[in-house]
Amino acid sequence: MEISRDAYRAIEDIVGPDNVTDDPAFLDSYAFEWLAELVRPNRSHYMPRPWAVVMPASTREVQAVTKVCNKYKIKIKPISTGWYHWAAPMKDDEPTVQFDLRRMNRIIDIDEKNRFAIVEPYVICAQLQAEAMKLGLNCNIIGAGSSTSVVASACAYFGGGPSSHYMGNNSDNLLGQEWVTPAGKVVRTGSLSSGAGWFCSEGPGPSVRGVTRGNLGSRGGLGTYTKCAIKLADWPGPAEMEVKGRPPGYRLPIGENFRAYTIGAPNWEAWANCYYAIYDNGLGYIFHRQLNLAGANLATALWLTYIDPTKTLNDVETLAKDPEIIAINETARISFQLILAAQSIDGIQLQDKILDEILSQTGCYRVERYCEQDMAEFTNMYMQRLGHKHCNFIWAGGYMGSWMQAGTPDFVKGYVPTAIKGFEDDQQSHLLVECGGDALMGCGSTLGGGGYFGLEQFVSYDPASDASIDACIKHMEDAIADCVAQGIPLGKEQLYLQIGWTDQRIWDGMAKAPQTFVLDFQRQFKDAVDPNYLGDRNYPWLPEKWGEAPAPAQAK
Amino acid sequence: MTIQDYRADALRCTRCAYCKWVPLDLMKSWRFSKGCPSIEYGKFHSYSAGGRLITSLSLMDGRSTVTDKVRDSVFMCNMCGSCDVACKMCRYDMEPLLAMHELRAKLVEDGDLPEAYQPMLESLRTDYNTMGEPHERRGDWAKDLGVKDLTKTTAKYVFHAGCRYSFDGEQSEVARTAVAILKKAGLDFGIMGAAESCCGGKAFSIGVDQQLHKSADHNLAAWKKAGVDTVITACADCYYAFKRLYTQHAGSTIKVVHMVELLDQMVADGSLKMTNPVPMKVTYHDPCHLGRQGEDYVPWDGVEKKIFGQAVVYDPPRPRYNGAFGVYDAPRNVLKAIPGVELVEMERIKEGAWCCGAGGGAREGYPKFSEWTAGERIEEAESTGADALVTACPWCERNFIDAVRGAKGKLEVLDILQLVDMAL
Ligand SMILES: Cc1cc2nc3c(=O)[nH]c(=O)nc-3n(C[C@H](O)[C@H](O)[C@@H](O)COP(=O)(O)OP(=O)(O)OC[C@H]3O[C@@H](n4cnc5c(N)ncnc54)[C@H](O)[C@@H]3O)c2cc1C
Ligand code: SF4
Ligand code: SF4
Repeated sequence: MEISRDAYRAIEDIVGPDNVTDDPAFLDSYAFEWLAELVRPNRSHYMPRPWAVVMPASTREVQAVTKVCNKYKIKIKPISTGWYHWAAPMKDDEPTVQFDLRRMNRIIDIDEKNRFAIVEPYVICAQLQAEAMKLGLNCNIIGAGSSTSVVASACAYFGGGPSSHYMGNNSDNLLGQEWVTPAGKVVRTGSLSSGAGWFCSEGPGPSVRGVTRGNLGSRGGLGTYTKCAIKLADWPGPAEMEVKGRPPGYRLPIGENFRAYTIGAPNWEAWANCYYAIYDNGLGYIFHRQLNLAGANLATALWLTYIDPTKTLNDVETLAKDPEIIAINETARISFQLILAAQSIDGIQLQDKILDEILSQTGCYRVERYCEQDMAEFTNMYMQRLGHKHCNFIWAGGYMGSWMQAGTPDFVKGYVPTAIKGFEDDQQSHLLVECGGDALMGCGSTLGGGGYFGLEQFVSYDPASDASIDACIKHMEDAIADCVAQGIPLGKEQLYLQIGWTDQRIWDGMAKAPQTFVLDFQRQFKDAVDPNYLGDRNYPWLPEKWGEAPAPAQAK
Repeated sequence: MTIQDYRADALRCTRCAYCKWVPLDLMKSWRFSKGCPSIEYGKFHSYSAGGRLITSLSLMDGRSTVTDKVRDSVFMCNMCGSCDVACKMCRYDMEPLLAMHELRAKLVEDGDLPEAYQPMLESLRTDYNTMGEPHERRGDWAKDLGVKDLTKTTAKYVFHAGCRYSFDGEQSEVARTAVAILKKAGLDFGIMGAAESCCGGKAFSIGVDQQLHKSADHNLAAWKKAGVDTVITACADCYYAFKRLYTQHAGSTIKVVHMVELLDQMVADGSLKMTNPVPMKVTYHDPCHLGRQGEDYVPWDGVEKKIFGQAVVYDPPRPRYNGAFGVYDAPRNVLKAIPGVELVEMERIKEGAWCCGAGGGAREGYPKFSEWTAGERIEEAESTGADALVTACPWCERNFIDAVRGAKGKLEVLDILQLVDMAL
């Protein structure tokens, strides 16, 4: 579908000819998205192609282009780094202009005293962290890792990660934000709205933050966030990370006021108890079940391979059969990573003592091999910078996260056996990576501050193989069936599969939700800020009276 | 190989954009966090390694065609390999740099090479150099040095000056210093003079693979005739061509040594004594072809296979080039051995170094982009407070010198051999 020349020229006048394109190959580089093959017809690796890609450099330009889109009734889809398939246009028949916000890339300010930073959309977590650390501060990095945009996770999508346990979820850390609505109005939220600065997320009246993002986020379906302020946490480490070693397994030496542990548990009951005790005692700077993304059968072999720069994945095969490695692997089978940090040596020693006590009471333990210097420094690096998150795709280039229902440890522990059994069964086809039924990975905290978390099954498949793609889709359907059979709410796979559904099918599902008033309210809110419906359906809403039984007169 | 051979790489690209940044663990500031000059200049995703994989796929699938924009996005890239290192931080099944090379080769094959490269290719055809100079003048830089002429006699070592040192009057002194050091080392060496041919690396980097084969055939035959078993060069581009490309594409078994490796060895065994103090604060730029792309070539002829159902590996195991074993320590050891020299590091070093801007034919094809890339590095060097930016490649040096002059800057740009010379 070609963009109308008038609309194109109008956009070109705003951003300049070098900052807009409708070259088909360029457009494909935005349509191509991870996971598309699981939800698009014929396993296509492309989401719908945008009509044009535009790169505004300022809020004013975003606003002006948004107004052009309103004039020509073209949908708007903003991206920051564009690492999620929700970043692409959602439907083939909806002409959409993709806003690539990479020219809006400044850290506007780090307010050291009040501990927050003001950033534009193309500032990634690693950049902000590097600058914050110089001031003794740190930022929560989402589970997707430090290559992702701070604004995207704060304003537009979820925002939880390994450090949320201590530093909060980015949905909570979001303070003032600047938002260009789909209608082209610039809205400043929180204390910004009264010209008082960026320090507070809530202004007078109802929470705009709550309405626009909630827990999940509008995922590009409700205009463009052009700046936001984000709360920072303390960083008791050096101003600059002194990274050692060769790629890929860089290491971060563990300062004397830090610890980097992998904690093992004899069973899931002990694991949950340990989690509760860690949470109750306020321990943990970073808390995540990270390294199990490789699968509980292969994790030790993979990571010992990974930290040796002379090795390749072929070595995992040999190592995985080594009795010594198998033994280590068993000790790490049910485990998680825990980084402790304190302002003083006394502080860290106290934390260690508390942890010792927790471990002795719950029957959990430090996994020895993982706590040796090489693995501990690697774990420290991985968890502090989250610069290896692309390892999610390490086995075959494809990863789909199923499950990930969040809740208390007891709730999560409850679905673990079903999740493991289902995945084990699906691996029998040999069309998914056979890493054991437990490739469950997840945040120690899906709500800021911890106590509530989720485990996601890391399903690795080969996106270059149709059969493997099909096996992954089957797994998604199986996981849904397992949840339905066990009365467990549906997980991420359902959210993904919906991308391939019609509006009507999605609305039919939503209409069965226990509290549809939220979706009704969101429609009314959308009517107010997006009268031309230029944001896509990623901001969920329900048409008026959808799913209600037709009135008798109409039924005739 | 062809772009089809990298189809699976494209399908397995996750659009994560690691290829746009320095390896995330190594990021030290906002200012110097970028890894890829091409995306920083071209901006659209197509100007990144991941973007080019998608371009390949899109072209293969007939979803798009080669337009002027596409051509620019394919060629406006330094082939510096920063993307390759960053991508391989987490992936063992991707070869973005090789895939980008094949995309260039495909465009060349289809007649889509940008016109700007024609003068260089013409010069290579007629005069065996990249610089539009008459080939008879190639050995002039060494006229009065009394070096063995290996077209007439034999030696164990050949010093290959390369195009830049042979013809760039401002830079030839470096080659002359190299000769003095080789003499000091007591090596049995000579040069090919006018019979030396360009290594072919630059042509290869723009996808004109045939030219590499021609150059390799010529140079390897000449060296063989002269009884040479080791080629020594002070040029990182030539080093890469001889060490990696000649071995892979022409079956070369000749040993390849960069001057910094020889100097390092001489410092270590005490045969090079630098006693003259050189009171200077310097920073070192890792040339891409000596650093992250300077790893040894390991022959491989294998196929993909699956383990654990779908995990992608190779049979036999595929060598992994991710910058882990580039030539990083040798130049630093030499600099540290020079009395008075204080080495201060930039933020982006070794496998995470920012390119000088001359690589991949950018200097010839996209001079503004090339100069901008160099300018970025100059700023980084200046931020260290160094008096001089030192490197070990004439292409980097020339690009830096031009960028400093263009910006009327004060930073001195030196080859490491010039510093060594001052200390002798
Ligand atoms: C491998 C992987 C693992 C992940 N794990 C986690 C996790 O553990 N925790 C978590 O919170 N998230 C996770 N995510 C999702 C992640 O939060 C999002 O992909 C996003 O926030 C990352 O930033 P980005 O710059 O890539 O966003 P993009 O891909 O650019 O955008 C993500 C969504 O936000 C919208 N958006 C982006 N920027 C703006 C803007 N400025 N204005 C309006 N809308 C915008 C886009 O339209 C899109 O729908 C994961 C993603 C991946 C790929
Ligand atoms: S080429 Fe590699 S680093 Fe770049 S987007 Fe693709 S997978 Fe990521
Ligand atoms: S080779 Fe260098 S310039 Fe080219 S895409 Fe890779 S990082 Fe960018």
